[in-house]
Amino acid sequence: MPETLTVGNLEAWYGESKVLHGMDFSVRAGEVVTLLGRNGAGKTTTLKAIMGLLDKRSGSIALNGREIIGAAPYDIARKGIAFCPEERGIFASLSVRENLLLPPKVAAGGMRVAQILELFPNLKERLDSQGTKLSGGEQQMLALGRILHTGARILLLDEPTEGLAPVIIRQIGRTITELKTLGFTILLVEQNVGFAAGLADRHYIVELGRIVEEIPGAAFEGRLGSLKNYLGL
Amino acid sequence: MTTILGVPSAVLYGQLLLGLINGAFYAMLSLGLAVIFGMMNIVNFAHGAQYMMGAMGAWFLLNYLGIGYWWALILAPLAVGAIGIVIEMLLLRRLYKLDHLYGMLLTFGLALMVQGMFSDWFGSSGQPYSIPQALMGGSHLGFMFLPNYRAWVIAASVVICLGTWYVVERTKLGAYLRAATENPMLVQAFGIRVPRMITLTYGAGVALAALAGVLAAPIYQVSPLMGADLLIVVFAVVVIGGMGSIMGSILTGFLVGIIEGLTKAFYPEASTTVVFVVMAVVLLIRPAGLFGSKPEAAQGQPQSSLSAPAPSARTQSLIFLTVAACLAAAPIIVYPGFMMKAMIFALFACAFNLVAGYGRLVSFGHAMFLGSAGYVCGHVAKIWGLPPELAILAGTATAAVLGFVSGWLAIRRSGIYFAMVTLAFAQMVYFVALQAPFTGGEDGLQAIPRGMLFGLIDLSRPANLYTFVLAIFLGGFFLIMRLVGSPFGRVLKAISDHDARAQSLGFDTSRYKLVAFTLSAALAGLAGSTKAIVSQIASLTDVHWSMSGEVLLMTFLGGVGTLYGPLVGAFIVVAMQNYLAAFGQWVTVIHGLIFVVCVLAFRRGIVGELIEFWHRRRRAPAATQAVLRKVAVATKE
Ligand SMILES: Nc1ncnc2c1ncn2[C@@H]1O[C@H](COP(=O)(O)OP(=O)(O)OP(=O)(O)O)[C@@H](O)[C@H]1O
Ligand SMILES: [Mg+2]
Repeated sequence: MPETLTVGNLEAWYGESKVLHGMDFSVRAGEVVTLLGRNGAGKTTTLKAIMGLLDKRSGSIALNGREIIGAAPYDIARKGIAFCPEERGIFASLSVRENLLLPPKVAAGGMRVAQILELFPNLKERLDSQGTKLSGGEQQMLALGRILHTGARILLLDEPTEGLAPVIIRQIGRTITELKTLGFTILLVEQNVGFAAGLADRHYIVELGRIVEEIPGAAFEGRLGSLKNYLGL
Repeated sequence: MTTILGVPSAVLYGQLLLGLINGAFYAMLSLGLAVIFGMMNIVNFAHGAQYMMGAMGAWFLLNYLGIGYWWALILAPLAVGAIGIVIEMLLLRRLYKLDHLYGMLLTFGLALMVQGMFSDWFGSSGQPYSIPQALMGGSHLGFMFLPNYRAWVIAASVVICLGTWYVVERTKLGAYLRAATENPMLVQAFGIRVPRMITLTYGAGVALAALAGVLAAPIYQVSPLMGADLLIVVFAVVVIGGMGSIMGSILTGFLVGIIEGLTKAFYPEASTTVVFVVMAVVLLIRPAGLFGSKPEAAQGQPQSSLSAPAPSARTQSLIFLTVAACLAAAPIIVYPGFMMKAMIFALFACAFNLVAGYGRLVSFGHAMFLGSAGYVCGHVAKIWGLPPELAILAGTATAAVLGFVSGWLAIRRSGIYFAMVTLAFAQMVYFVALQAPFTGGEDGLQAIPRGMLFGLIDLSRPANLYTFVLAIFLGGFFLIMRLVGSPFGRVLKAISDHDARAQSLGFDTSRYKLVAFTLSAALAGLAGSTKAIVSQIASLTDVHWSMSGEVLLMTFLGGVGTLYGPLVGAFIVVAMQNYLAAFGQWVTVIHGLIFVVCVLAFRRGIVGELIEFWHRRRRAPAATQAVLRKVAVATKE
């Protein structure tokens, strides 16, 4: 199976302070891979670095074998990567519909809006309300939904379960499973270990801006002990 | 003839129409400002100049190329918009990460440059631009006569405003704009070229201003300064409406125009100042503006602040005494008239620096204190015949009161809004000075007597006068120096760096700001009063907005937030005025250029850069050694 996203020796800075110290990992086509780690480990920074949202970074980010670290931020999405940020990034001055349709198409074969609304029925009646008037869970669904119609095949999801009720977390879990069966490649950042365990093919543990361990999905249960140690649970 | 509340109805309708026309221009201009500010966080001070370029463009097209109104309506905005795009790509782009004030200063500099150049080519008097053939004449509506051109302007502006509103609020492109206003990074991450969108937005906003300029050409006189005064009113409109909403800008623009028109009908004396009164009322009851919901943007990081520690008290006194000695000895080699003028402006700039540098409240209206104090001092000395010390006291006190009142209102806002509010108040004072009987209008107060200081010292003797000015300057400077070093100064600095934190520590931050602002106003007034006694004139120049710009220039050139920066800046600017006077309007262009260069290349100003350079050199050896040690350790490992 060809690798889809390969990150090699990725370093990144906020101003003068260096946050990523050589991240190495890969996500193969059709996989769900998680980045787990404590608060401040550098998970969000990794996603931002991939999307080109940081001023300074170095190393290699290869998409289907093609280097993209030099690309302008607006070009990275156009290569087929979509990003769902930690703080969800719903725009207050846009209606739900506008939020949903905002990201432009980057490739053919994205989901149709009707399909997305089927996935997230809660959004259907709220299409004309203001984006930020939605509940936290609905906002998360909107943030996920809006990157599905662009045609991007690689999704970077930053803590989609943060701060949500168990019912909604389960709903989002089902959605991610469904996206996987649809052939999406997903890089998932999570704090919720239980949630991640049920979904992912592989897990990477991030600590102080490095990958310190890779755990196959099957071995997850057995490694829970050392994991808890890493994550400080 | 019918009358309404004592005013002939024809007059009332006529003034209402005029108000509606003015309102149309306020709406179009504040709309562009709001769109540009939303996207770029820049208050486009060049907006008035760009409006003027639209009108001028139409005039040039007609008189040099024989191209008429209808083509000008398309060509002039396109050309000015293209210039705007170049400005954004070359200059404004460098400022997005800095405090919003830098954008304001840079575009102010650009406005000065453009206005200066056009004044040089064109002369500052107005030129008529005739109404296009198709829109000549008018129609009787029964209750009034409506000229066709005016009807066209109102209709066109309504279409332009609503069209802009539609694009921003109802289209996909508008959704991109709104989203990028909120979170440009995320929009960029979706694959949208935000930088290009910003460039085009600025181009479009500027083109909108130019389009308004072409529409205005047949109504108002076409002149290089037609945009400057208009822009100040538009700033007041922006403060009244708040920049958060497009429809809000449009409605506020028309509303203010109508209020102005009504005032002209019922109480013409107040028609030029009513906008500013409305602004004051809005600041009192709804500081965020009628349609403003967005909370004030947090102040940017303290940019390019000095990392150098303050010198010790002994060094400070030593420097002060040296400067004092130099100033005292200067008349031996330098023309004393120049020295006195420079010292007065230096005091003015130091006073300004007290709020702008240490309090980070950049006022665009400090001329109101200089000028009004000059008038009062002149009046007291000349008409009441009181001795100079009382005249100066009266002038200073007036400025202090004015500072207290305007500061009390203005500190409700911060950053760019503070700048706009102070500018608007200063413009109000200017209009009062223009109209009030005791200021002498265009001529000003002349032949103000210098008199006998304390009844003993004859100030008409040059040596006495020089000593007097020197003493006032040194006294004022010493006061500021002590103030900055005092606990009060340190709290002020802390507030300016972090208002919220200072507030949570229990400081009543607005009281500190108000005290600082009032003190600054009083010292500016002291400078203005002294100026009136020395130059024996008090005139409109000293209350004009360009004087507020000049004190900004002195302070930023010399080094804002440094003790001696304003002094150095004042001497340079006054010297430029003296020696470059032959270049006429090009002095304004040079002023503008200095603003641009200062903002882009050395934001610390001359003195600030020198201090920084000095300290880096002294620190450098230590830092190098540390690096070497690190390398040595690394190679050993
Ligand atoms: N904008 C920023 N400026 C400076 N430092 C930052 C910034 N954002 C994050 N950091 C720092 O970078 C480090 C990594 O942050 P990051 O957001 O990537 O952590 P994270 O693993 O996503 O944590 P969490 O689980 O809490 O979301 C942290 O030490 C954080 O303090
Ligand atoms: Mg995170």
